[in-house]
Amino acid sequence: MKHINFVALIAIAACSTAAFAGTIHGKVSGVSGVSVVYVEAIAGKTFPAPTQHLVIDQKGLMFTPHIVAIEQGTTVEFLNSDSVAHNVFWISISGNKKLGHNLGTWPQGQKQSFKFDNPGYVPLLCNVHPEMAAYIIVSPTPYFAETDKSGVFKIDNVPDGAYTVTAWHEGAKPKSNPVKIAGDTAADFTLSK
Amino acid sequence: MKSKWLSQTLFVAVVMGLLLPKVGLAIPAFSRQYGTSCTTCHLDFPKLNDFGKAFKDAGFKFPKDDESFLKTPPILLGAPAQAELFPHTVYPGTIPGLPPIGLRYNQFYQQVSSNRNNFNQVLPAGTIGTFIPKSDFQPGLFSIFTAGNFGTGISFWVDDDISVAGANANGALGDAYLKFHDVSRFLKMPTDSVNLRFGQFELDLPFSQARSWNLSGWDILGEANIGVQNGIGRPESVNNGTGLDAAADGIEISGGHSYQGYHYSLAVMNQNTSGAAAAPPNVGPQNGVAFSSDSNFKDLYGRFVYRFNLEKNPESRDGVQAAGAMGPRDHTFFALGTFGFYGRSVQTVSGVLADGQTPTVLTAREPFYRIGGDVNFNYRTFNLFGVYVAAHDHNLVPVSTVESGAITGFKPESAVTFSGGFAEADYLALPWAMSIVRWDQVKSTADRVNFLMYDPTAPPASSFFSPYRATRNRYTLGEQFLIHANIKASVEYQIPPQQIVYDPATGIAISKPFRTNVLVTGLEFVY
Repeated sequence: MKHINFVALIAIAACSTAAFAGTIHGKVSGVSGVSVVYVEAIAGKTFPAPTQHLVIDQKGLMFTPHIVAIEQGTTVEFLNSDSVAHNVFWISISGNKKLGHNLGTWPQGQKQSFKFDNPGYVPLLCNVHPEMAAYIIVSPTPYFAETDKSGVFKIDNVPDGAYTVTAWHEGAKPKSNPVKIAGDTAADFTLSK
Repeated sequence: MKSKWLSQTLFVAVVMGLLLPKVGLAIPAFSRQYGTSCTTCHLDFPKLNDFGKAFKDAGFKFPKDDESFLKTPPILLGAPAQAELFPHTVYPGTIPGLPPIGLRYNQFYQQVSSNRNNFNQVLPAGTIGTFIPKSDFQPGLFSIFTAGNFGTGISFWVDDDISVAGANANGALGDAYLKFHDVSRFLKMPTDSVNLRFGQFELDLPFSQARSWNLSGWDILGEANIGVQNGIGRPESVNNGTGLDAAADGIEISGGHSYQGYHYSLAVMNQNTSGAAAAPPNVGPQNGVAFSSDSNFKDLYGRFVYRFNLEKNPESRDGVQAAGAMGPRDHTFFALGTFGFYGRSVQTVSGVLADGQTPTVLTAREPFYRIGGDVNFNYRTFNLFGVYVAAHDHNLVPVSTVESGAITGFKPESAVTFSGGFAEADYLALPWAMSIVRWDQVKSTADRVNFLMYDPTAPPASSFFSPYRATRNRYTLGEQFLIHANIKASVEYQIPPQQIVYDPATGIAISKPFRTNVLVTGLEFVY
């Protein structure tokens, strides 16, 4: 009996969560191309680090993908698919130079891993090919999305509540807006370079 | 009057020749083709880094998987499968998908110290001397260059100065060649052990004068050996205008790599020590080809160098670039090389036979050689290198055994020699800022004797007229800044060899030894 009550409680809790989970949708305008939108850290709430690793490839003197959003705590594997030496470094995370890091050198076919525990945007560079660049946007919450090329985005399963939502775009100043989520909520951003 | 104008013009040309910066090249066409920065191949253009050396060795290609880096695919001149039909089809090749053309322009400002007009003091009173301004803005070179490969291991290079010093189309062809890479694969020899190059090219010098990153060239590489009989000093009669940095027309076989291990080259090329090309009246101009040799002898040049990469890790040591903790970088290395040049200068003079009457043409064949060694040490961004050259020309002096004094033959005298070299330290303090300290030395008794009593109304064709001593030391400090990867600002302070002014009539010194220091700044861009 006690066991049945516990299962029922869990089921009710799950249903209630689903009932109060919303969606943020909107458009990032003022810039063209892919942007990233994410919910900033929620006070008192932590999220387990994803176990799945993401791979960023260096091929043809380019990082692929060029922009990627991940959840805080995600491990990224940097693969060198080129027959020339590459490296990966970043001088800061969201401008904080103390979080800069250099992963060194590794040959073709090999990877170097790094776990991104600090949220923010990470500008990736290669010290021998200065034209190479990519961005990792580390979201402090699992609520993030990359926009399509027209700037449209949708973030699902965001619990109702009041949050700060940030939009980031390469070369533009990130913009954070307070957004109150209640079901299906719209949030548009206008960024400028 | 015309003669005076001519002499003044020549004088200015001589001085400007001393002052005007030498040139270097970088190939922005490759940036376009591969979508990468100049700094992928250059430290401080045109100075190559290890990857740039490997790129050049491979025939202007990435050493491996070149096609995967090309942002614009090459145009096929025949499908690769056509190769199987050969010899019943033209062997398939490619041309670059983008015309691999680069352009370059530079501009200079120079400031010359107060001694610049010292030689005018020997002119007769009232004579208008040559005026060298204290400061001067100078247009430099507008050059076009193209380089790339045609697939199947054939590369090409052509560079030409379209305009020099603002004087429109009076530039010259620089290098222009086809190079067949890894011919060794047809001979079942080690990879890259045999390459063939045909055309006009700078000799495989330890350090390229044509593509030097310095504003002024290395003196020893441009040194000619001219010895005249002027009654001063020992009798000399050599007329060898060949500088090691002169463009060679011929064939070169080479092998190895410039970024590790051995590298060699052997070249056979035209000889032209007099600077005068043969006119073709006996053959006729119908074939449209002139001649650029002045003798039947072909000069020979050879070079061997071995470079030791000093990284402990074998994988890093043998790679094109070293694997540093902070990313790939140039190797720490030590290289030792040697080189030699052999030719046989020809001088012809009108003379008479022993009867003292019968006119004849007398020919003096004067073998000559240049031999040298070079060292090159690199630690991270600090590069220390140097070259030593010894030159030796057989010296046949015209003699007369007849009463009229007409030349009847030659007799050997002491060889005319020179020696010298340079040492240079480059430090790339920042990826965009390089400091240079340099010492050039040329020891040429002939030069001093030739120009001992320099007459400004009849300037000699030498950059160092009237040197004070046979040994000429030049000290140079330089700083170069990359404004962008393709725009460079350079400054060079040259402390040239000491000079002295003699009275041309009496040979008495009328000045104290002096130096004419020069500050040269340059701005150049390639695109």
